[in-house]
Amino acid sequence: METEPKIVAFLCNWCSYAGADLAGTSRISYPPNVRPIRVMCSGRVDPAFVISALETGADGVLVTGCHPGDCHYVSGNLKAESRMKTTRELLALLGLGPERLRLEWVSTSEGARFAQVVTDFTDDLRKTEPNPLRAGSNTRASVTMKDVVFDGLRNTNVQYCLECGKCSGSCPISKVNDSYSPRRTVERFLLGFRGKVLSSTDLWNCLTCFTCTERCPSDVRYPDFIKICRSVASKEVMEELCAHKGITMALSRIMTNPGLRQQRMEWLPEGAKISQKGKLLYFVGCLPYFDVVFEDFKLDLLKIPQNVVKVLNKIGIKPVVLSNEKCCGHDLLWTGDQENFERLAKMNLAEIKKAKATQVVTACPECYRTLKKDYPELIGSQGFEVLHISELLCGLMDRGKIEYNSNLHRKVVYQDPCRLGRHMGVYEPPRKVIADIPGIDLVEMGRNRENAVCCGVNAWLSCNKYSKAVQIDRLMEAKATGADLLVTACPKCQIHWKCVTSEKLPVDPKEVTMEMRDLTVLVAEAMCLT
Amino acid sequence: MKANNSILVIGGGIAGMQASLDLASRGLKVFLVERSPSIGGRMSQLDKTFPTMDCSICILAPKMIDCLRNPNITLLTYSEVQEVSGSAGNFIVKVLKKPRFIKEERCTGCGVCAQHCPVEVASEFDMGIGIRRAIYVPLPQAVPLKYTIDEEHCLKCGLCQKMCGTEAVDFDQKPETIILNVGAILVATGFELFDARTKSEYGYGRFQNVLISLEFERLLSASGPTGGHLLRLSDGRIPRRIAFIQCVGSRSLKGGLSFCSSACCMYATKEAILIREHEPECEVYIFYNDLKVFGKGYQDFVTRAQSHWGVNYVRALPGEVMEDSKTGDVTLWYEDTEENMTKSIKVDIVVLCPALIPRATNKELGTILGLELDEYGFFKPKDYLFAPVDTNVPGVFICGYCQSPKDIPESVAQASAAAARAAEVIALLVYKGAY
Amino acid sequence: MEVPRIGVFVCHCGINIGGVVNVPEVVKYAMTLPNVVYSEDNLYTCSSEGLSKIKEGIEKHNINRVVVASCTPRTHEPLFRATCEEAGLNKYLFEMANIREHCSWSHMDEPYKATEKAKDIVRMAVVKARLLEPQEEPEIEVVPSTLVIGSGISGMTAALSLADQGFQVYLVEKEPELGGTVRHLHKLYPTMVEASEGLNKLVNAVKLNKNIKVLSSTVVTQVKGFIGKFDVSVQKGNSDTANFRVGTIIVATGADVFQPVGMYGYKEYDNVITQFELEQLLKGGQLEKTERIVMIQCIGAREEKGRTYCSRICCMTALKNALLIKDLHPETDVYILFRDLQTYGKEYEEWHRMAQDRGVKFIKYVQEKPPQVVAGPDRKLTVDVYHALLGEQVRVESDLIVLSTPLVQHEDAKELSQMLKVPLGLDGFFFEAHVKLRPIDFATDGIYVCGTAHSPKDAAESVTQALGVASRAAIPMAIRHLRTEAITAIVDESLCSGCGTCVKICPYSAIEKDEKGVARVTAVVCKGCGMCGASCPEKAISMRHFTDEQVVAQALAALGRPVT
Repeated sequence: METEPKIVAFLCNWCSYAGADLAGTSRISYPPNVRPIRVMCSGRVDPAFVISALETGADGVLVTGCHPGDCHYVSGNLKAESRMKTTRELLALLGLGPERLRLEWVSTSEGARFAQVVTDFTDDLRKTEPNPLRAGSNTRASVTMKDVVFDGLRNTNVQYCLECGKCSGSCPISKVNDSYSPRRTVERFLLGFRGKVLSSTDLWNCLTCFTCTERCPSDVRYPDFIKICRSVASKEVMEELCAHKGITMALSRIMTNPGLRQQRMEWLPEGAKISQKGKLLYFVGCLPYFDVVFEDFKLDLLKIPQNVVKVLNKIGIKPVVLSNEKCCGHDLLWTGDQENFERLAKMNLAEIKKAKATQVVTACPECYRTLKKDYPELIGSQGFEVLHISELLCGLMDRGKIEYNSNLHRKVVYQDPCRLGRHMGVYEPPRKVIADIPGIDLVEMGRNRENAVCCGVNAWLSCNKYSKAVQIDRLMEAKATGADLLVTACPKCQIHWKCVTSEKLPVDPKEVTMEMRDLTVLVAEAMCLT
Repeated sequence: MKANNSILVIGGGIAGMQASLDLASRGLKVFLVERSPSIGGRMSQLDKTFPTMDCSICILAPKMIDCLRNPNITLLTYSEVQEVSGSAGNFIVKVLKKPRFIKEERCTGCGVCAQHCPVEVASEFDMGIGIRRAIYVPLPQAVPLKYTIDEEHCLKCGLCQKMCGTEAVDFDQKPETIILNVGAILVATGFELFDARTKSEYGYGRFQNVLISLEFERLLSASGPTGGHLLRLSDGRIPRRIAFIQCVGSRSLKGGLSFCSSACCMYATKEAILIREHEPECEVYIFYNDLKVFGKGYQDFVTRAQSHWGVNYVRALPGEVMEDSKTGDVTLWYEDTEENMTKSIKVDIVVLCPALIPRATNKELGTILGLELDEYGFFKPKDYLFAPVDTNVPGVFICGYCQSPKDIPESVAQASAAAARAAEVIALLVYKGAY
Repeated sequence: MEVPRIGVFVCHCGINIGGVVNVPEVVKYAMTLPNVVYSEDNLYTCSSEGLSKIKEGIEKHNINRVVVASCTPRTHEPLFRATCEEAGLNKYLFEMANIREHCSWSHMDEPYKATEKAKDIVRMAVVKARLLEPQEEPEIEVVPSTLVIGSGISGMTAALSLADQGFQVYLVEKEPELGGTVRHLHKLYPTMVEASEGLNKLVNAVKLNKNIKVLSSTVVTQVKGFIGKFDVSVQKGNSDTANFRVGTIIVATGADVFQPVGMYGYKEYDNVITQFELEQLLKGGQLEKTERIVMIQCIGAREEKGRTYCSRICCMTALKNALLIKDLHPETDVYILFRDLQTYGKEYEEWHRMAQDRGVKFIKYVQEKPPQVVAGPDRKLTVDVYHALLGEQVRVESDLIVLSTPLVQHEDAKELSQMLKVPLGLDGFFFEAHVKLRPIDFATDGIYVCGTAHSPKDAAESVTQALGVASRAAIPMAIRHLRTEAITAIVDESLCSGCGTCVKICPYSAIEKDEKGVARVTAVVCKGCGMCGASCPEKAISMRHFTDEQVVAQALAALGRPVT
């Protein structure tokens, strides 16, 4: 394998590209490791480009732009500066190293400077390890249509479909997109028009919220059917649809590399007590990454894991927190990347085993479902119990271990996350926890529990006008209950809703804006721990 | 062994009554045991019957009176079978006659007692949407026309006793055990309705204007709580649009039962026509999956409903029902599978057609009689094809809905079939020299 | 006729009548009416006390006509009639005045008007009572034997049950063999028993049964008479005739399968067959292996005009045969093109699920856009159908097309229906007495129908109906005597002009023209509906107990006209 570092460079058209040209016309030599890509402005460089380059095996990524104040587009370069800062944080978390990304200002006349920048970067990279992702073994394998996959489809009961249309009548997407029909997809599939089904965008629009399955008289597990189809469908369509240019998926894929050691413990609050080995393990999930990717939303997502630890500590529990915890793989599984999901799963299971944990608790319903249901089904039973934080808190409440020190005086409405509710049947423990807090008046939306409506986005797919309509409708329903606080048990719900309310809305923002709080953070508040 | 030419019929609905009348008319003695205070069964709760649109109680009441007056039939209403022993030709049956707290021979059915009773109870006959008193007859044409005191709700205030002109009220009445000796037993226990509350997406039990079919039938009936006026129970308004949802709990591999109840497409059509007759301005939509038109006259009935009465059939099973809590109006969401579009429609009343299921009490009765039941609770015929009314117990026969889903004509024919088999059993024993 | 001495008994019915109607006033009024010799009021006339008072009154006052003014006759008329009989009066010398359901209960807020109405109603009853005459209920003897026409699964089941109940059975079959349509079937759903196996058991039982006389290759040529005494003539071949008398007749003549000639290439291409023909192929093990079979439902059924009915059994037959094909040749692709899947009842929906499990493909089409069949090279047929639930045209190439066609009535049924004087419905099948409550009786007493002669149905349902008629026919034959209606039509021969209107109009075929050309009523068959009386232009035919005179008198009395 080549030991010379490979650098991908994004050069802004006006200053730095010209600067690089000047280096050439001036015959100034510099190492040939860099591969330049022209962009109009350094502000064009999306963090996803950087991640993509690194995922594909680049050892370093260089972004150059005009000096501050000189940007052809006024402030593009300043945007680049803040974005690259964010991206470096992600690289640090991943363990790839923030130093693999460099941002430099090069002006039109600075040919020599350009050459120097490249030379310095190349030298520095020669001294560091090659990118462990170079092997490219973690990129998605293309799976060919195998009949063995279609045997798995029989377990989804699609063959029993009665064409009654109840699924479409229940589907939140169908309500806002009247030609979206789970039923027609199934019928086409059963008649043998598989190509049509696999190449359609409808395959990726499904929220996998399970409302249809909940009501289907033939027990057709439509989201499971979708999941299997996605695993054999070409990913080109998906790539067009994936929000945030699939950066979150890329992060998960990168984590499959055994050579990377993440740096993901910074969020731990001062005085937090955790251990390497122990009975109870707290599975954090991708919150440290989301906190960076969505920092503009100011959701303070890290409060969730911080308060989980605080609450557990207060009760006298010292949870195990894995320093190299990988993404549980939920989004990869639901977007058809079975291979990388399995890699992540095996790594996580090894770590959990090493920690000798018999109980794994998580505050993320997607991690909960994946650890509790998908890991045993696809990998095998592993000998530990999985609990959602609300289930754990309920148990502790029953044993009188939770002490509340303040009266919150809030009217709360609770959103059942799809993964916790319909997927796993956990409806009452979160409600019990909330209702137990002094001063809380818990009200319900008309559509609750098994009839709750999804937050509108799944696995970052199809963040389009239809999902916005679903989200706005649901938020209006929450607001209409008269509650002043919307409590979720899923950080993704919070992210998605914050996203829609930050955008230009077709309705009065007052009708949809609500204070949101994660369940555990609320508990911690009531325990005066925040 | 002395053969016994009496027959016990369990269940006083149309099947039980038909079998009883067939047997009694040919000289055999019949004991007709009915759990509720009156015979008549489900058919007495209906307004009209499909496809003839006969007034149900009008064609049923003469049969009920026949059962009362036929000297060969002994009615044991408000009674239950407790124990059965013996075998074909010689069954010993223990029947518990529950106390009515009324001396039947004194009661003239005048109804003065009920007029003065202070207690209001949800009427079972009206499926809970109407009121009866603690002293009551389930329906005005009850047979026997004898009042019954519902012990659970009675306050023992004694007003009824005071007002009764024939001193028929007897609070000290005790349950009576009657021992019967019969040669054959016929079971005709009919059906009950699937609990539509379990389909939470439809809001039954939460939304006032979502009803189940039998409740709606009582609403349409002249003897029902609104005197047959088509009104919304929430606000008394005349509805302008009504939707029926078929297959609630039927044809389901989960959350319901897998079989088709076989009568719902037709009775929904019937109720739809009744709506159009009562209120020509009211639109009616029937949301269905496969329209079951297999019976004699069914297809013509549906065609007439569509072309003459303007009933709309929509091929879709709605996904959910939502309520506007201010007005009580309900909205259905569905995919019109023939137009390939997801739509919503606001209606005044939603009528759910729940699965018609064998009674839960069949299990107990099966144990008492030694009968096999299938996984749904239907009594199992000995051979579905060649011995449809026989069971695993010789001398015990089944007929009507409790054998399998069917409509009234099929129940009547099958009741006669069971009567024939019972008569054969008796005759066989006669030929064996038992007489 | 004796001078009428009418007694009027007015009931209070507790406060049900007495609380609204001024009963004493009605009693007083009754006494003012011509021919009323006695009137009294009772608290509860139907009670044992009230009934004794009626008997007392009849005796004491020499009453020969009784009027009870109380509730509806539908409840207690038989009771009061019986009471009159016990007091020595003919039970038809009794009339009821309904002043409860028709008066006090309906006019509870208007006691004055209710009382006036009650008086009118009593007057009307008195007026009729004056014209009443004693009536007799004739008795007929019933011969305890039955004729079963048709030896299919229905006919044989009915025959066996009746024979086992002790009755003599004549089983007439026009074919040389017994068994009907089931002979040609392969397997019977839902138990999947071999049709021949089940049938042979029945045939053997029939042949061994001492009470059954089998007349095969025989047709019925004439039926005369009425319930209890039908005189039947049959013929075997060209000359062999026989006559016998039976008490009841059972029609179990079955049905034919519709041949869709000219539809979808039937009889044009040899690989377009009916579901029935597919059944034969499967039975004989002659179904060749094919790549794809397409079954099309509702061919010639559920039409806009003509055969508008659904033939009930085709969906299940298609499912059954589809599963048998999959058992034989698992790789064969089977399509079922349907309009509405008739998987009713307890078991049949499970068959649909089984078919789905085996990969049978279901395509719904609508009546407005039926499938098209186009022939291509080397015997391939293409079915072009608008998939109603996808909104797309679907084209399927097929090696064999199976058309599911309905059951239809036999060509010769019209002859039989005229012979027996029983009607055929608009769908061609025999028409029963009452669709809901008398599905296997004919309006004509003593004749019954079962099986596919009545309407399309499967083997299990035919057996049930056959057992049903065995019970219905047994009733008159078991009690050997029938007391028939007293309320029957009576002809005044001197007035009858022989126009035949009444003969045509009678729904029970109870009237015929005798040797003199004059109408004659067979009282035992007459049900007393009165349609004949209302249609007679000569006032020659009238109803006992409901004569023109009696009815008109009541109408006039209602209006308060004085009555002579």
